[in-house]
Amino acid sequence: MNTAIENTNSIAPPEVDLSVQLGRLHLTNPVMVASGTFGYAREMAHLVDLSRLGGILPKTVTKQERQGNAPWRTIETAAGMLNSIGLDNDGIDAFLENHQPYLTTLGTAIVVSIAGRTQDEFVEMCQQLDGVPGVAAIELNISCPNVSGGVDFGTDPNMCEQLVAACRGACELPILAKLTPNVTSIQDMARAASAAGADALSLINTCQGMAVDWRGRKPMLGNVIGGLSGPAIKPIALRCVYQAAQVVDTPIIGIGGIATLDDMMEFLVTGASAVQLGTVNFYNPTVSMTLLDALPAALAELGAKSVAEIVGTLRV
Amino acid sequence: MNATGLDCSQHALSAAYYADAARQRSVKIVENTPLSRDTFRLRLASPELASHILPGQFLMIRLPSHESPLLARPFALYDTWCDDSGTPLGLDIGYLVVGKATRLLKAMRTGDSVEVWGPLGNGFLPQATEHLIMVAGGIGQTPFLALGREYLGGRPYGNPGREVPPANKVTLCYGVRSKQFAAGIEDFENAGISVKISTDDGSLGHHGLVTDLLKQTLDQRLGQCRIVCCGPEPMMHAVARIAHEREVPCQVSLETPMACGIGICFSCVTKVRQLEEDPTGEVWDYKRTCVDGPVFDAAKIVF
Repeated sequence: MNTAIENTNSIAPPEVDLSVQLGRLHLTNPVMVASGTFGYAREMAHLVDLSRLGGILPKTVTKQERQGNAPWRTIETAAGMLNSIGLDNDGIDAFLENHQPYLTTLGTAIVVSIAGRTQDEFVEMCQQLDGVPGVAAIELNISCPNVSGGVDFGTDPNMCEQLVAACRGACELPILAKLTPNVTSIQDMARAASAAGADALSLINTCQGMAVDWRGRKPMLGNVIGGLSGPAIKPIALRCVYQAAQVVDTPIIGIGGIATLDDMMEFLVTGASAVQLGTVNFYNPTVSMTLLDALPAALAELGAKSVAEIVGTLRV
Repeated sequence: MNATGLDCSQHALSAAYYADAARQRSVKIVENTPLSRDTFRLRLASPELASHILPGQFLMIRLPSHESPLLARPFALYDTWCDDSGTPLGLDIGYLVVGKATRLLKAMRTGDSVEVWGPLGNGFLPQATEHLIMVAGGIGQTPFLALGREYLGGRPYGNPGREVPPANKVTLCYGVRSKQFAAGIEDFENAGISVKISTDDGSLGHHGLVTDLLKQTLDQRLGQCRIVCCGPEPMMHAVARIAHEREVPCQVSLETPMACGIGICFSCVTKVRQLEEDPTGEVWDYKRTCVDGPVFDAAKIVF
């Protein structure tokens, strides 16, 4: 396993184009880090060369400060983990004051993840972020399983479409819609977000799950139900990316259990234009650097000179 | 903000401490030695980690190539180990076999590698005291060997080595279930630390609670003293209460379960009183144990 700082000099051979275009959002490479799995990036500054990342999604911000859920907030499961953090954050004003000025200096695309309880809250936050220096795009977290309210936007296609359209209309920034797998038809949700003008779809957020202490006859998570992430959900995420790519032309960002080069390449070939690394940051903090180092050779193995060439080239 | 473990909460960012000295490395196991029943000392080779880590700091250890357990586990520094000239070559952690990860760790041998990242957390604040009283429950004794040694002037820790005002006396009050679980007593005694033991079953030392030993030590204390504490939560709560009643400053090192150890997952939160804003202690906020701790002023913790 490679470590961060020593690898800063390894750059892609010039003949390989790692850049990706997600609607109006341009990234220097397809390796992003997922919201809620990278703190506010400051925590990782001495483990990872942050400027090499394709993009950073800081922890989701909400209109008001949120204390988050009671412990326990995470439980390890087979090849994965459950979490019910509950969007613990200091609110968007504190985020803009305390975190965004630092994030702006990092030399990579900062995609601010937001979650509102109502459409109005989402719209107000989009307006607030519009024009803030260093904000490259907004990701709408309409899929967090750990908060009351908000999740309907991710499960009802009509509400989803209205919300994405309203956010597009509220600001000039590219809009990513992060969708939940906890729906009957991911294709309906993808169509809705796409029709409303999302620049890209982020697939997937966590799968709802639960853990129980049978001796104590009680749930393990403070919030009873939480979201499952990690390698355990990778097949579900791949399936969602595959199904969504069949019905929309909107670029897709693959998320869900990506931990290795093979995982990342599988998502790209299946239809994702970029990926977000999530839970793996917890158990292998420098993994993003390892994957960036290995990506050019993997593209070359497929005879590709750019990332775009291999996206959605699965032969079914 | 830095590896000194000093409070940087005035910084505009929300965490008190960031792992600025932390590195992720694959390191070799030098020894994996039994200390007592189900309790082992893992000796790792890493001059880099050993020369930076401070008493009370921790590292995350992950078993490579495993997806179950998927996550790393936090372990406190037991002590560093050095060559004859005093140059740190590596570090020891102590662990109790309690679950899947520690069962697998127990099976690892000399020459095997584990993935580690650290040093992490704030560590104990090096505050002047005449008598340092360390109160440990179960495997909670592990953060105290290096700390006691540091206060007795036995070895500097950190890079550059931090200066700690020397204490006249360091006492370890150590509570365990029974004699067979008592681990590392010789290590503490060899470092010049006075050891008092209590067991639940009376098989060694005082038959009763470790808080009995603490009260006894406080009654016989040598001048101005401070308490540091690590162990099960009810024990830490009881120690914090005694410290409050006797008006003795007390730091606790929390053992909150963690997923990442570096402040990015927001799992390991604990309720921390905002005494600066609200002296009544009724206002609290969740703080990340990994980056705002694991060492806290006991008066600030809502047990």
